[in-house]
Amino acid sequence: MFLSDFRREFYEVIVSQRVLLLVASDVDALCACKILQALFQCDHVQYTLVPVSGWQELETAYLEHKDQIKLLVKQDDDLEIPAYDDIFRDEEEDEDDSGNESDGSEPLGKRKRFEEDVVERTMKRRQRREWEAHRREILFDYEQYEYHGTSSAMVMFDLAWIMSKDLNDMLWWAIVGLTDQWIQDKITQMKYVTDIGMLQRHVSRHNHRNEDEENSLSIDCMRIAFEYDLRLALYQHWSLYESLCNTSYTSASLKLWSVQGQKRLQELFADMGLPLKQVKQKFNSMDMSLKENLQEMIEESANKFGMKNLRVQTFSIHFGFKNKFLASDIVYATASLMENIEKDEPGTDNFIKALDSLSRNNLDKLHQGLELAKKQLRAIQQTVASCICTNLIISQGPFLYCYLMEGTPDVKLFSKPVSLCLLSKYLLKSFVCSTKNKRCKLLPLIVAAPMDVEQGTVIMVGIPPETESSDKKNFFGRAFEKAAESTNSRTLHNHFDMSIIELKMEDRSKFLDALISLLS
Amino acid sequence: MDPAEAEFLAEKETVTVIPNFSLDRIYLIGGDLGPFNPGLPVEVPLWLAINLKQRQKCRLIPPEWMDAEKLEEIRDQERKEDTFTPMPNPYYMELTKLLLNYATDNIPKADEIRTLVKDTWDTRIAKLRLSADSFVKQQEAHAKLDNLTLMEINTTGTFLTQALDHMYKLRTNLQPGETAQSQDF
Repeated sequence: MFLSDFRREFYEVIVSQRVLLLVASDVDALCACKILQALFQCDHVQYTLVPVSGWQELETAYLEHKDQIKLLVKQDDDLEIPAYDDIFRDEEEDEDDSGNESDGSEPLGKRKRFEEDVVERTMKRRQRREWEAHRREILFDYEQYEYHGTSSAMVMFDLAWIMSKDLNDMLWWAIVGLTDQWIQDKITQMKYVTDIGMLQRHVSRHNHRNEDEENSLSIDCMRIAFEYDLRLALYQHWSLYESLCNTSYTSASLKLWSVQGQKRLQELFADMGLPLKQVKQKFNSMDMSLKENLQEMIEESANKFGMKNLRVQTFSIHFGFKNKFLASDIVYATASLMENIEKDEPGTDNFIKALDSLSRNNLDKLHQGLELAKKQLRAIQQTVASCICTNLIISQGPFLYCYLMEGTPDVKLFSKPVSLCLLSKYLLKSFVCSTKNKRCKLLPLIVAAPMDVEQGTVIMVGIPPETESSDKKNFFGRAFEKAAESTNSRTLHNHFDMSIIELKMEDRSKFLDALISLLS
Repeated sequence: MDPAEAEFLAEKETVTVIPNFSLDRIYLIGGDLGPFNPGLPVEVPLWLAINLKQRQKCRLIPPEWMDAEKLEEIRDQERKEDTFTPMPNPYYMELTKLLLNYATDNIPKADEIRTLVKDTWDTRIAKLRLSADSFVKQQEAHAKLDNLTLMEINTTGTFLTQALDHMYKLRTNLQPGETAQSQDF
């Protein structure tokens, strides 16, 4: 839905009605949902929450509640839209006698006017054809590439701010939504930094009271702080050693799948002056003297080893004496809770658990999520290492391709879209660092993994190439659709993100062949 | 009486809030409230203040006695005296708990206040235990304690009365009755 005045046309309309909230399975959507829920609670709005994981579920939910629906707004990342006038135009019917008065007395004049009419009509028709061609072009461009705009959690926070109902809690959820986009590599670095700047203003507005000694807040109050912290995943809840091994940036730059890479890792620790024994224990138990200037020390040493961007601008949350989390920690925890395959529960249970873990009084769920996230990261790194060592990534011409066989350990983890996307991005990063072929470094990657062995389906993900200045535009959505059409493969384009599809195992090879010919 | 009931009674105390909405006078069974104007302080009962705070519709102002220095004086006074000193509010414990739970960000030095109130409470409960102990030992018939609050009475009330009941039963059974039969045979 396209809106110009968010508050007036959206919130004030729904605040007096009963609302149906359909939420996608994405950490960003979860955060936006939390913000909306908090707003609804303040204003006593009745709502029903339905998690949807794809277009089909969206349709079923819509049909179920069809009788009561008047307005439909979906929670999702919004894609950039072209100008309204370029696509829709209030067309006026061409009327033959549109106000041309015929003057009967002068036949010459009439004929002249008739000719003018014809000329006018042909001009109009030509204009119309040009306009239609232009429209087709725009729509093709619009639908050809897929990319992500502002985080929907940030959009919801803006709404709350406009209504002066924004709180520190909602600000934190907006931060988590933005960090999720950055971790999943959906937005460019520039956009991330700009959005962080915007959020930084809100953070200072809400959290400036700590400096005042006389009126300092209770330690139990929630505080958000800006941090220029290390990019290592979950390092404060894990050991430094594990975190360095399992973060894609460090593991790819140091090439940790090779023996040389392991040696380089040990050199890195020696350079930093951190004894291996200390580094392998839990971060909280490390010596205080070592932890003091940790960030600067690591950055300096990492620079020598070619890792220039080890620190990143982010935020951390702080409440009580024990609880300090970085935004990225929360993202990893929530994402792994949402795609938890350990117990065979229906999908909505995982969704609700992940939603709950975002509240501050459900710390046990958050800790469970952190443990699951550690397992997931380890599984991803091991899979990446084995793929690179056994050369499972093959160049098919216009793209790279990797298929995870059924017997691969932890392959069940990768039957979920977000985990598979994360795996593919890490795989591509590591591959780019490991290969010497200059051309292969610029190719996009398609990864396929078995999804449901009984039904014989495979889940396939396509990601854009890994370049410094990439604008993260993904053309695989349309490409997959066209390839499926041309080969009559049995595919399911169910996910909101069109570059993720499911298809039958038997159709895999002909689908790939069609893709190769399409993209060359 | 339940502690929950005592808390319920405590919620009738009035506190000052600063609302951020406007509303005309409302007429409730217990009395009139309002009118509410954004930015102007108004006196409301505690239950309404907590509700408004949870809905982000107001800012709470701590009562005058909820101040670190005053509470420190009260605590020191309590420790010096052998008997109970009068408390600033008959529901000081419930008020502290509710306000510090829901409105921590509106109360300066909330941690210190929590510690000070807990210290005062501990001192008073210790005195209560001592006095109950001496009451039983000296087998008094009645005692009078001033300046106790409802919550403190509740803490020991049930236990004390039941214990005294038991002791009475045991004492009456000790006296040898004429019809008691001896067992040596």
